[in-house]
Amino acid sequence: MSDQKDIQKINSTGFFALVIGLVALAISLYGIFSGLETEDPARGFLSWLVGLSFWLSIALGLLFITQIWYVFHARWPTIIRRQCEHFLSVFPWLFLLFIPLFIIPQIIGEPGILWKWLDGANALPGGHGTVQDDPLYQWKSVYLNSNAFIVRAAIYFSVFIGLSYFLRKWSFDTDITGNVENTHKARRLSSVGLFLLATASTLAGIDWFKSLDYHWFSTMYGVWFFAASMRAALSAILIFCIIVSVKGYMKGTFKQAHRYDLGCMMLAFTIFWAYISFSQYFLIYNANIPEETYWYNIREHDGYGVKNSWWVISLLLIFAHFIAPFLMLLWYKTKIVVNRLVFVAIWILVFHLVDLYWNLIPGKVIDATASHGYYIRQFSVEVFDITAIIGIGGICIWSVCRSMLKAEPIPIKDPNILTSLNHSE
Amino acid sequence: MSEEIYGIVASFKDTPSLYHAAEKVRDAGFNHWDTYSSFPIHGMPEAQGQKRSKVPIFTFAGGVTGLTLGTTMVWYMNAFDYPLIVGGYPFFSPVFPFPIMYELTILLAAFGTLGGMFIMNLLPQHYNPLFNCAKFLEVSDDRLMIAIEAKDGQFDPVATKQFLESIGGFDIEEVTA
Repeated sequence: MSDQKDIQKINSTGFFALVIGLVALAISLYGIFSGLETEDPARGFLSWLVGLSFWLSIALGLLFITQIWYVFHARWPTIIRRQCEHFLSVFPWLFLLFIPLFIIPQIIGEPGILWKWLDGANALPGGHGTVQDDPLYQWKSVYLNSNAFIVRAAIYFSVFIGLSYFLRKWSFDTDITGNVENTHKARRLSSVGLFLLATASTLAGIDWFKSLDYHWFSTMYGVWFFAASMRAALSAILIFCIIVSVKGYMKGTFKQAHRYDLGCMMLAFTIFWAYISFSQYFLIYNANIPEETYWYNIREHDGYGVKNSWWVISLLLIFAHFIAPFLMLLWYKTKIVVNRLVFVAIWILVFHLVDLYWNLIPGKVIDATASHGYYIRQFSVEVFDITAIIGIGGICIWSVCRSMLKAEPIPIKDPNILTSLNHSE
Repeated sequence: MSEEIYGIVASFKDTPSLYHAAEKVRDAGFNHWDTYSSFPIHGMPEAQGQKRSKVPIFTFAGGVTGLTLGTTMVWYMNAFDYPLIVGGYPFFSPVFPFPIMYELTILLAAFGTLGGMFIMNLLPQHYNPLFNCAKFLEVSDDRLMIAIEAKDGQFDPVATKQFLESIGGFDIEEVTA
């Protein structure tokens, strides 16, 4: 990074993001502890989990796409790959930010606040005894138990951090030495890494998000998380590239052809996300087994057929998270006109967040005064949701800015850099 | 056999000169002309002033037709012509026939693409007067050519020949229809 003005801008952005992030995280922590007093103590933790999953999905998607590009020897995205690599620096911080979700419930002596199955003594909604009496939990307890959860979380994060560490290290080393061997090594690692990452992110999605409702069965959940992550990641990296190409160091290198190809991938993964999400619904709808259908039922009505707030969100996912971006991205112009593509990318990120809400937040909250002995947690945007998203985002952006100072803006000595710079439609 | 002129062909020595010549032909305002090479040249559509392909419109029309056809077909069969209760599901809903709607969308969109490509490329075309020109056959090997057709409004047997020469063309020939 040679331009003094750029360095200053990146430094101040990073510092600003760090301060905002720390303040917002402090507010979120306050939200978790003040939420303990309310009738729904899990909501504060869910805010944190939504914020974490939003940024984690972006980072995971970028780790996927970076390795996919290596494996397929894609030359055109070489200049974009460097921007992805900056994002890959966030995993250690996300690990630190994940720990409170597990540790705080342990410290206050109620390990099962967020993940109900972590505490066998937790009462089941509807007065059916406790978690440890639940036959479904007894079958699943080989996988869903506290020790296995800790070990697996450690493995997942070592996969994420390990892969991103080596991919970043070798790519940055090429800037200085121009050693082609680095590219070969990265390609070899990626061909193994994709399998490791696919396994780790699938199981992570099951452990951290799906197990919030441990009763449920779905074979599509890991793929859903992958598809959602890819959509978020492509939108995020597109916005990032456009910011640095309009104002900063990628001016003139990030061209229409790069935008067009990223737009095509956004379209492809929009369709893929819809395909996966619908398939999950369709399989459960066709089989019609109560242990599976209830998951969709609580996202539609209150148990008596009266639609609840998740009904509107469900429809929004169909029409606003799939059909609208699908139709917008079908048009060639949308994929090359900067403003339109940024609009679609922001749109997808917003509804990605709605998708995460829809997947993570609903659940049965025990309430003796309610008709079934429980009520279904409804859609709401809390202050602490917003602070968690901003807080974790602030730390991520700070980490990205720190990384931007460590390497060249584009991988100048990469063997494929010329093809990427000359990329045309 | 009539000796009517089909057009005039000119050869160019390398890709850049073909590319820049194409820009000049475009700027001179010709409409019925084309460049010929044995390999694709990046940016040539722009140099020729070609608009974007119309094939996507055919694809879209095919897709919409498929979606509508799939929906009405299932509705007609399951809810109108012979209402049948299957597994306790409604006679018609957008959920259970979705695979059919979706597959027909894909199928007819693919047919639309294929058909649109044939229509827009004027295929099938078994005869083209350019094959009367012996040098034109070398295009499939190493020759780069521009052909301006006589049906173009600006075409003039003498002036067009001079124009092609002025933009760097050689081996200029008239091709008979």
